[in-house]
Amino acid sequence: MNESGKAAEGRTTHERPVVASPSSSITLCTSDKSLPDECSAGEHVPGEVGIWVFVLGDMLVFGLFFTVFAYYRGLNIDLYLQSQTSLNQNYGALNTLLLLLSSWFVVMAVSDVRNSVNSNVLKKSSPANKDGLAQQNTSHPSKRAAMLLALAFLCGLGFGLVKIIEYTEKISAGITITSNEFFMYYYIFTGLHFLHVLIGMGVLVFLCLKVRAGISGESDLVLVESGATFWHMVDLLWIVLFPLLYLMK
Amino acid sequence: MNTKSQVLCAWCGVIFLVLFSIGWVLLARFLPPISPALSANDVAAIYQQNTGAIRIGLALAMISAAFTAPWVAVIAAQMKRIEGDSPVLTYSMLVAGAAGILILMIPTIIWTVAAFRPERDAELIMLLNDFGWLLFVMTFSPFFIQNMVIGLAIFGDNAEAPIFPRWLGYFNIWVAILLVPGGLVTFFKTGPFAWDGILAFWMPLVVFFGWFVVMFMALLKAIKQQAQSA
Repeated sequence: MNESGKAAEGRTTHERPVVASPSSSITLCTSDKSLPDECSAGEHVPGEVGIWVFVLGDMLVFGLFFTVFAYYRGLNIDLYLQSQTSLNQNYGALNTLLLLLSSWFVVMAVSDVRNSVNSNVLKKSSPANKDGLAQQNTSHPSKRAAMLLALAFLCGLGFGLVKIIEYTEKISAGITITSNEFFMYYYIFTGLHFLHVLIGMGVLVFLCLKVRAGISGESDLVLVESGATFWHMVDLLWIVLFPLLYLMK
Repeated sequence: MNTKSQVLCAWCGVIFLVLFSIGWVLLARFLPPISPALSANDVAAIYQQNTGAIRIGLALAMISAAFTAPWVAVIAAQMKRIEGDSPVLTYSMLVAGAAGILILMIPTIIWTVAAFRPERDAELIMLLNDFGWLLFVMTFSPFFIQNMVIGLAIFGDNAEAPIFPRWLGYFNIWVAILLVPGGLVTFFKTGPFAWDGILAFWMPLVVFFGWFVVMFMALLKAIKQQAQSA
């Protein structure tokens, strides 16, 4: 679902000129330099290129984590299967839902911001507004996008609460990081992922405030897309982590 | 503007890498690490059989650590160009970098103490060996802060011709996060999170050394840009 979410986001990008009126979409793709790259190149990389250095690097590391886990699991499969039964799948499933929901909110928020930026560009590039009105249009607040980002943040908060309840239950049952190999991975992987969730929640708050204060142009869209890319990665990592720890037989 | 001393400082990072590799890896043969799962007698035997090479190697590694001082200074000088009058991230980087020198230097002395009287009680040798390794691998936090503030400073660079490319900011934050598993070595004597494990040791080690190479290239570029613009 996460993947399809991303795909949907990409599709919105390419459909955008069609949504606008035909004549203005021509203006979009030919004249204005401040326009998104995808118009001229046909390929759009969401966010700034640097965030992908981070995301791909981070996924590489988690890939290494999962490979190490799979290797040691293969050496002692009974221990892993037996330990897995003491995990609460409901918590894991609930957290999966929360993150997927939050990703959906983020996708819609990005779409809002993108529309808002494009409508700004349209107004600016139309000759009638060139003299007087361009100044006014530079600030175009998007309340809906801010609300969606806040909802995504609340989902993250819910994820955190469930995680804390889950950790508390485990620890009070005497299951800790040193209990056995499986729980070592359980605590470290979910802990590092939780660290990502916390960073991502900080990013969402930052974006929410930024969007509330007003969307002024292409640079804001790049910022929102970069943050959204990070949040989708956090979601994606959990979608791998959940079956790996809770479900795999 | 004369930027020769900056170039010299940047090269000190390379000198550190080379000297440390010769001393710590080739002579002392601390790579791969002495396993935390070994018995006291096995650990003592390593120090007894290899005493001379360990002493020379660790002395070299100790010397190499000081070369990170000019290295940290040149990073600070370039960060200061970004931050201008409010260089708090630069200062954080300097302080964390100074702590980093000690983290590289003190373990070499602790291991040296073990190699100083290798005939002493095996349990004591193991104590010193543990002390050195835990100090060396577990203390990721100053390096974490160092990389984080470099990344944040790069993100704050709004100049038309930025001093460092923005991807380098993301790279530094990525490196910072990769160093974190080192902090877990207190719990384990075997497996990927022990001090000789793939995730707590090898990954941070490779990333840390890779960071030197990437930063070296970026620094030379930034210094060149500074020389041309002045």
